[in-house]
Amino acid sequence: MEFGWSEEEERFRQDLRAFLDEELPPNWEEIAAGGPGSDEQVRFCRSFCPRLAERGWLTQHWPREWGGLDASPWRHAILGEEMWARGEPRGPQYMNVNWIGPAIMRFGTEEQKAELLPPIARGEALWCQGFSEPEAGSDLAALRTAAVREGEVYRVNGSKIWTSYANHAERCFLLVRTDPASRRQRGISVLLMPMDLAGIEVREIPSVVGDRYFHEVFLNDVEVPVSCRLGPEDEGWAVVTYALQYERVGAARYARAARILDRLAEEARRRGRLDDPRLLERLGEARAACEAARLLTYRVIDMRAHGAPPSADSQLARVAGTLAERRVADLALELFGPESLAYGSPGAQHFRAAMTAGVAVGATEIQLNLIASRILGLPRE
Amino acid sequence: MDFQPNGDQQAIQEAVEALLARHAGAERAIALAAKGETDGELEAALAEAGYRDLALGPETGPLEAALVVEAVSRAAGLVSAGASLLVAPMLLGEAAPGPVALAAGDEPVPLRFGAHAPTLLVARGDEAFRVDLTPADREPVPSNFGYPMGRVRADVRAKGRSLGAGSGPRLRAWWRVALALEAAGSMRAALALTVDYVQRRRQFGRPIGSFQAVQHRLAECEVLVSGAHWLALEAAFHGADPERSALAAAHALEAAGRVFHDTHQFTGAMGFTLEHDLHVHTMRLQALRLELGGLGSHRVAASRARWVGTA
Ligand SMILES: Cc1cc2nc3c(=O)[nH]c(=O)nc-3n(C[C@H](O)[C@H](O)[C@H](O)COP(=O)(O)OP(=O)(O)OC[C@H]3O[C@@H](n4cnc5c(N)ncnc54)[C@H](O)[C@@H]3O)c2cc1C
Repeated sequence: MEFGWSEEEERFRQDLRAFLDEELPPNWEEIAAGGPGSDEQVRFCRSFCPRLAERGWLTQHWPREWGGLDASPWRHAILGEEMWARGEPRGPQYMNVNWIGPAIMRFGTEEQKAELLPPIARGEALWCQGFSEPEAGSDLAALRTAAVREGEVYRVNGSKIWTSYANHAERCFLLVRTDPASRRQRGISVLLMPMDLAGIEVREIPSVVGDRYFHEVFLNDVEVPVSCRLGPEDEGWAVVTYALQYERVGAARYARAARILDRLAEEARRRGRLDDPRLLERLGEARAACEAARLLTYRVIDMRAHGAPPSADSQLARVAGTLAERRVADLALELFGPESLAYGSPGAQHFRAAMTAGVAVGATEIQLNLIASRILGLPRE
Repeated sequence: MDFQPNGDQQAIQEAVEALLARHAGAERAIALAAKGETDGELEAALAEAGYRDLALGPETGPLEAALVVEAVSRAAGLVSAGASLLVAPMLLGEAAPGPVALAAGDEPVPLRFGAHAPTLLVARGDEAFRVDLTPADREPVPSNFGYPMGRVRADVRAKGRSLGAGSGPRLRAWWRVALALEAAGSMRAALALTVDYVQRRRQFGRPIGSFQAVQHRLAECEVLVSGAHWLALEAAFHGADPERSALAAAHALEAAGRVFHDTHQFTGAMGFTLEHDLHVHTMRLQALRLELGGLGSHRVAASRARWVGTA
């Protein structure tokens, strides 16, 4: 047990920071304000990710065979921290490298790997995640979007909702029901669906969390080639479970929260308020929550580095992260006072970045259910 | 970065668990507390096994000492583990015999082990002071907060020897790490007892632990306790740097408030009795929460260390 970084890891972090200082344009803050799915940020990520890939950093934790460097999960975690702390210049591409690529490596055919992995590794691919449906949110296994096999295609009908980045993505990691008679986890398959097929309609859902944030994806008689199926037919749940293990702690949201907190403290100093013990207390309270989330995330990365099987420990990290984000969000509004009410103000932006924490990537209550049953061993309700 | 214990650390953990199985536990703590005593036998066993020298050992350091402090607290050992095994060696550069008491400033408030400790460390501004105490200098204070309490005469405190410039902040930092470790140990034990209780206790024809309202609050406690554990160990590993040690204490003692009320809530009236072991761990949490200025002061210290540049 030791909690230090190796020299090589420290150097990597410094190199990354220097790289970001050089690559991020002077108006980066404005670009980042829209969130990873905004038009501006997506445009930026299309030029940024290839440069990250040139250095070998984008998919460094992947095997060499697929454009990686076999780097340790810790190096990838450092990358994630530095990216999220700077507003995630990878845009939606963080998903590709964290979990979509690894799922394709694990379950894909040779053709799928050869076609889909290189663009991800080069930083050229944009994906979206088609899981949630109007009637299937926390209860994902209730999904109904139907895919009926007709020769060499699946005819897909149904709709997906809350799909981030659907307006930009070229592909969708889509969950469908291939066995209409099946219920729950059985009979689900994964399709790696090109988004330019006939019959796909993407509609924006206006929201208070940001422009072009949420989408509904309508699928009307979309013909998806059978060759797009990832893993065996009707057995997609195993693929999803595998992918979600990587998704859950993939985004270093605690690093963004910690960075925002530093900004808040900076702002408090500018206003001559850093000698106010009440404010210092609030800042300390929020920082402790960020640090707890960081260590619980590290614990999951450590288990991965040791090759331990995935466990419910990732849920501890997620819940801690949500607690941290909420504290930082509340403080952001309070610190800037009524000025936070102005659209686009720093308080409003920080708040917006954090307000979805308890729902996006799975509701907190579901995570608590898993902790209660898998870690505490409490009986089912 | 490696969260798994190495071979030596694992050996230490196993050895201390074996020692604690013989010389600690809630039952002993209850019996000793009734007499207002500390556990001399456990104290001697820890010393004999060399744990007092762990923090300054050639092959070991504060992290290994921290693992032992947390384990002693988890097992309800009635010794000044944090002060003796971690704080005193790191401050004095040598082990101190017997219980060690810690004080912040000069108010003659009740101190943990204050009626038993031959050594008192006082944090006063930029300096820390070592005061050697005789029985005449100390007086027991009856308390049911899980530790033997005592007051030290104000005039005696003033006679301490300074440990030099900058020793005050160092004492506060190590003390905070010790508080975080002891709280983490007590919380872990209290939570385990409660999880066990809600599985066995049935009402409405089912275990109360099957109610989601109960599950979620215990699951949240698990998140907080796990966070406290790792923050405390990390702070010890990094030599109690001012920010990390204050954050560890801030997180652990906030969690302690939450864990206290939730564990007592879910164990019903039984949890308040001396028949059940819960109180052994929970009452201590409240004592820990009041030390060194309390939760607010740890939070402020963390913020000062990070953003103002003074702890
Ligand atoms: C910012 C954001 C981005 C998103 N991006 C995507 C995306 O790209 N792709 C995608 O597929 N989905 C996406 N989602 C959807 C997300 O996965 C779902 O919102 C989430 O799984 C919860 O589903 P729901 O919103 O339908 O809430 P519901 O399932 O209706 O639940 C509402 C609330 O009920 C409570 N609840 C539900 N079940 C239980 C239970 N068993 N026990 C106790 N309480 C319960 C919880 O408090 C929960 O928050 C996104 C969501 C957000 C907020």
